[in-house]
Amino acid sequence: MRIRNRFWWFVLLGVLTIILIMGVLAWFFWLQLAPAERSLLLNILGHNFIYVFTVGVLLLAGLGFAADGVFHVYILPLSKLVEEVTLIATVNPSHRIAMQGSREVDRLVAIINESADRVEALQGRVEERIRLARAEAETEKNILAAFMADLPEGVLICNTDGRILFFNNRAREYLSHNRLSGASTPSGADPFMGLGRSIFTVIDKNLIVHALDEIAEKLNSGETSAAAYFVAVGEGDRLLQVEAVPVLNNRRDFNGFILICKDITAQLEVDSRVNALFKSLVQKVRGSLGGIRSAVEAMIAYPQMAAKHSERFKAIIHEEALRIGELLAESQEAYSRQVLTRWPLVHMPACDLIEAVGRKAETKLGLKLVIYGCEEDIWLRVDSYSIVLAVLFLLERLKTHLGLRDFNCCIERRGHFVCLDLRWIGKPVKLETLRQWEDEELSVAGEAIPLSLREVVGHHDAEIWSNASRRLKNTAYLRLFFPSCTSEAACNIRSITILPESRPEFYDFDLFNQPGQSPDLDDRPLTELTYTVFDTETTGLDPRGGDRIISIGAVRIVNLRLRQEDFFDQLVDPHRPLPPESVEIHGIQPEMLEGQPPIATVLPLFQRYTEETILVAHNAAFDMLMLQLAEAETGIRFINPVLDTLLLSSVVHPSQGRHDMESISQRLGISVVGRHTALGDAIATAEIFLKLIPLLAKQGIYTLRDAREASRKSYYARIRY
Amino acid sequence: MAAKVLIVEDDSSILIPLTFLLEQNGYEVSTAADGEEALAAVARSAPDLVLLDIMMPRLDGYAVCQAIRENPEWGGIKIVLLSAKAGEMDVAKGMALGADAFISKPFANAEITATVQRLLTGPA
Repeated sequence: MRIRNRFWWFVLLGVLTIILIMGVLAWFFWLQLAPAERSLLLNILGHNFIYVFTVGVLLLAGLGFAADGVFHVYILPLSKLVEEVTLIATVNPSHRIAMQGSREVDRLVAIINESADRVEALQGRVEERIRLARAEAETEKNILAAFMADLPEGVLICNTDGRILFFNNRAREYLSHNRLSGASTPSGADPFMGLGRSIFTVIDKNLIVHALDEIAEKLNSGETSAAAYFVAVGEGDRLLQVEAVPVLNNRRDFNGFILICKDITAQLEVDSRVNALFKSLVQKVRGSLGGIRSAVEAMIAYPQMAAKHSERFKAIIHEEALRIGELLAESQEAYSRQVLTRWPLVHMPACDLIEAVGRKAETKLGLKLVIYGCEEDIWLRVDSYSIVLAVLFLLERLKTHLGLRDFNCCIERRGHFVCLDLRWIGKPVKLETLRQWEDEELSVAGEAIPLSLREVVGHHDAEIWSNASRRLKNTAYLRLFFPSCTSEAACNIRSITILPESRPEFYDFDLFNQPGQSPDLDDRPLTELTYTVFDTETTGLDPRGGDRIISIGAVRIVNLRLRQEDFFDQLVDPHRPLPPESVEIHGIQPEMLEGQPPIATVLPLFQRYTEETILVAHNAAFDMLMLQLAEAETGIRFINPVLDTLLLSSVVHPSQGRHDMESISQRLGISVVGRHTALGDAIATAEIFLKLIPLLAKQGIYTLRDAREASRKSYYARIRY
Repeated sequence: MAAKVLIVEDDSSILIPLTFLLEQNGYEVSTAADGEEALAAVARSAPDLVLLDIMMPRLDGYAVCQAIRENPEWGGIKIVLLSAKAGEMDVAKGMALGADAFISKPFANAEITATVQRLLTGPA
């Protein structure tokens, strides 16, 4: 019951009690009177009834005004004071009370605000010290996290239920699946790969179960190495070799597992080619040796054989010996080619490469290299260390050979190739000399690699020659001729590792202790559940009148953390006109919806995104009705439990009149950005919900069941769309 | 009467010394350069033993071996497989297809003559 109703019930009861007492007193007084006195009294009252009645009504009215005054000056402020002090003490220490009441209430408010100032300042100092103390530990954690994030292998850590507790960028790249084809790809992160999600949505459950059985078997037999391996198919049909490693607690109980994924597609191709090469070599050599051995043994066994036989056998031995030689040479070359393909080349801008050469030439060789004509969009596929060393090697040889210290360097594109020219005033280097240099091992100013210039140049599929310039008089050049590549192909370059200021939000090892999702979620604490907080934008506010969804935005809350990186943000073509008045609210123009997928395509994906989570929305009845109305078209039904921040806010703050998102955000100290976009509102709702959870706990609302019951009883639950 | 041996081998460097060797050992030797030629030769005049290379153009040694074993009239023909493929799998496959012996290249001439002799005269 609301406090106002309670107060007036109290006043009414009070008045009735007073009337009752006065009635009883009057009755006793009446009994004491003689009949003549009673008659006299009735006469007096009868003649003065109007005065008596007026005094009675005035008395009651006066009492009512007094009670209302007491309610507004003492009771209501005190009730609000309780809610506001709770706010300050829990989620919003910066909140200050601004209310008018009696003098005593005003003094109390001033004292509370003053105390809140002092506590906030104190808290600020303590938090600052805690922040500084944590910063050091965080840096170390972040180095580890950043290192993990950019490992060449995909790494995922899961708890015993297969919930993902950690994944790095490479794992996301290897295992994420494209959700929508065509131009309407959602801008969201992949919804099927996220913290708290099941690993079985990205890797076949049978494979993992088999690996875990194998691990359990190994652990039982006391093996020290208990890893299991399997091959899974990843994104784009790439073959992944997956190593499953158990995570044990200090009692050696199985506590989860780590999956390390390695893309073996290219490796398998090289291995199978090398394998085929080896088999073919062995078979051919065996054949040739068979002929030689048979002929030799026949000659030894029959020394008196006819000359024609003897000559034929000698010819066989000679031919087969030559064939073996050729086979070995061919195989060696083919093998080198295969092995060299394992030498990784990366894409880099040619300008960066030549600038590195220029710097080193100056510091290591004392040469001046003037660079010109380098276009920024020229990219090369190189092993930068060896190719820089190769160019330095050439510069050093040129310096010694020509006695020069000044060179020009020019990079230009010619069709599918890129020319890297070292130019000088004088005569070209003879090709014979260049061939000698090509056979030398790369060694310059204390740096060396055990490969010849020819090998390094060959590995880059490059060519090298020297000639006199046709365009520039008295100028010669030495040219490295590379195949060019496009900058688009360079997207696989590892990004620079930047240590984030705060702990990266893609892992949460606390989830190790997360109990498994069970059908009966009701008894689970709110703090342990995984939520999908969502919002929809629509063509209007009348779902039953034909308004439809045009945008769905959602974020997830896992272990009381808002996972902004795991979001869902998708525009939907409603296949009906967009009223101008709705455009003013959400800002989505009709042309933005052209080519977007229909609700029938989006809703199945959104359902997968929300799988095994609790749905949270502000004024959820509206959004749920929108989803329900789409059920007929899509066949998708959302059976997840639902919580509504509007209802929960009214549970926590029953005395506050307004429970719209702006008012709640202001009360809870949340700054809202990007309102009236589905994703912006979903994020704001999620922040509100996170702040409401501790306030609910203060009222004894801990579990999902508690929250649902409290919402049901809430006054606002009567609102029906 | 000399036993008849058919050598099936596409590589003349092996075919010539083998022919010489077996002739020196008193066998009546005929030759074929591939699988189809070999089956035609067997059909013309069934030999007592076939020395059969596995890797040959058109029809390989395994197929020839299988074809000979499928014909009951040729049940008495002994088959020796010769191959540069010398893995356990290759041997097992050859024996499963009905070969009597498997000799891997490079081989000793003595191994050939001993095997041929053993198969043609039966166990000592």
